[in-house]
Amino acid sequence: MTLPALKLQADNIHKRFGANEVLKGVSLEARAGDVISIIGSSGSGKSTFLRCMNLLEKPNQGQIVVAGEALKLAPDKAGELNAVDPKQLQRMRSKLAMVFQHFNLWAHMTVLQNIIEAPMHVLGVSRDESVARARKYLALAGLGGVEDRYPAHMSGGQQQRVAIARSLAMEPEVMLFDEPTSALDPELVSEVLKVMRTLADDGRTMVVVTHEMGFAREVANHLIFLHQGRIEEQGVPKDVLTQPKSERLQQFLSGSLK
Amino acid sequence: MNWQVIFQPESLALYGQGVLTTLTLLLSSLAAGALLALLCALALTSRSLLLQRVVGAYTFVIRGTPLLIQVYLIYYGLSQLDWIQARWDTVWPWTHFKEPFFCALLAFTLNTAGYTAEMLAGSIRETSAGELEAAQAFGMSRLQVMLRIVLPSAFRRTLPAYSNEVVMMLHTTSLASAVPGLLDVTAAASRIYSDFYLPFEAYLFAGAIYLALTFCLIGVFRLTERRYLAYLAPRPH
Repeated sequence: MTLPALKLQADNIHKRFGANEVLKGVSLEARAGDVISIIGSSGSGKSTFLRCMNLLEKPNQGQIVVAGEALKLAPDKAGELNAVDPKQLQRMRSKLAMVFQHFNLWAHMTVLQNIIEAPMHVLGVSRDESVARARKYLALAGLGGVEDRYPAHMSGGQQQRVAIARSLAMEPEVMLFDEPTSALDPELVSEVLKVMRTLADDGRTMVVVTHEMGFAREVANHLIFLHQGRIEEQGVPKDVLTQPKSERLQQFLSGSLK
Repeated sequence: MNWQVIFQPESLALYGQGVLTTLTLLLSSLAAGALLALLCALALTSRSLLLQRVVGAYTFVIRGTPLLIQVYLIYYGLSQLDWIQARWDTVWPWTHFKEPFFCALLAFTLNTAGYTAEMLAGSIRETSAGELEAAQAFGMSRLQVMLRIVLPSAFRRTLPAYSNEVVMMLHTTSLASAVPGLLDVTAAASRIYSDFYLPFEAYLFAGAIYLALTFCLIGVFRLTERRYLAYLAPRPH
């Protein structure tokens, strides 16, 4: 049996902030259809790891491969890896759509403008096609009739679903989620998780940094537990969560599963 | 009170000419000033320390000295320089330094550019870091991030402060009357005052003209803000 295609590889990522080494060689492999959850306590480096994958943080060491294409990196004076070719970085970023904790919608644009912006101006998709995509993915995110509204006039849950639709409109190879529900009121979390579950069921490749153990257990097919910049434990979510081997994970789970 | 003198056709024509000069000065200096301000704001927010310092010094001097002094320096001061005098009969652009209108326009442009540049630079610096990250994460180039996200957002957020600047500039153009040979609204009032010795009527009427112009300018900005700052407005219900 052949494995699904590799969509994203991050190899041996190291990241230092000054003297503080936040990531001490973390790797990840996402194949088509994988839903990988990354969990860990705050300060474990999970968000930094995710942000290294699209170079929002510049790693000090490591390699990133998106859909078979290795990102060309070279160290700068501070020892951080920079993209050698900005065009290549832009192309690879456009294949890795990111959903942020604080949504990061462009406030001065309407919902529709937010969604068609990058497809039109980064991918060069026509306006009609971009608008069609926007309608399609807004519907998928369970949002209707909000196209002309501004982000500030919507609830956090709606904004995050718009942000998901914005990412989907790029039709990316992999979707990166950086704690997508952490900034939401408890009653709004489920509406966002529901959309993410739909995406997983559609076979989209997703890497999700999250505190939602329920999502990690039921939706993800692979779970990574980060502790102090290292992968402490990983595997099939049900096994990892029900039979944690390391003391760290046992402690973490006893703290977060109530 | 003697309003008949003010409302006789010759006086009204004089005021009319004044309004035309005032508006031409205002709109040309705003247009040229806005362009210069954009360049200065980009320099102020650039990574180059040299650019930041040079433009910072410029806005410091402009904002730190009275406009009237700047007008005098350009109109009277520059004409003293031998270097300029050797050129202003023949060599463009120095030929313009003999024209009162050009000198006033130059002073106003440099002045409004200094103030507007700092406002715009402030808005650019305050652009939400998250929105910038989102733009980068979606694969935009630096130029695209600037043109598609940073500037459209910063322009909008600068609007309320800028509308103030425009109204201030309108009133500031009255300093043009300090340059001989320029007939703006204030100069027209002064002319009528000296011709008929009617200071109260002459300047009151000029004041009314400025008030009416201000009213129109504020109206235009209200409409502009309603359209472009709708995203900051309270949630509609």
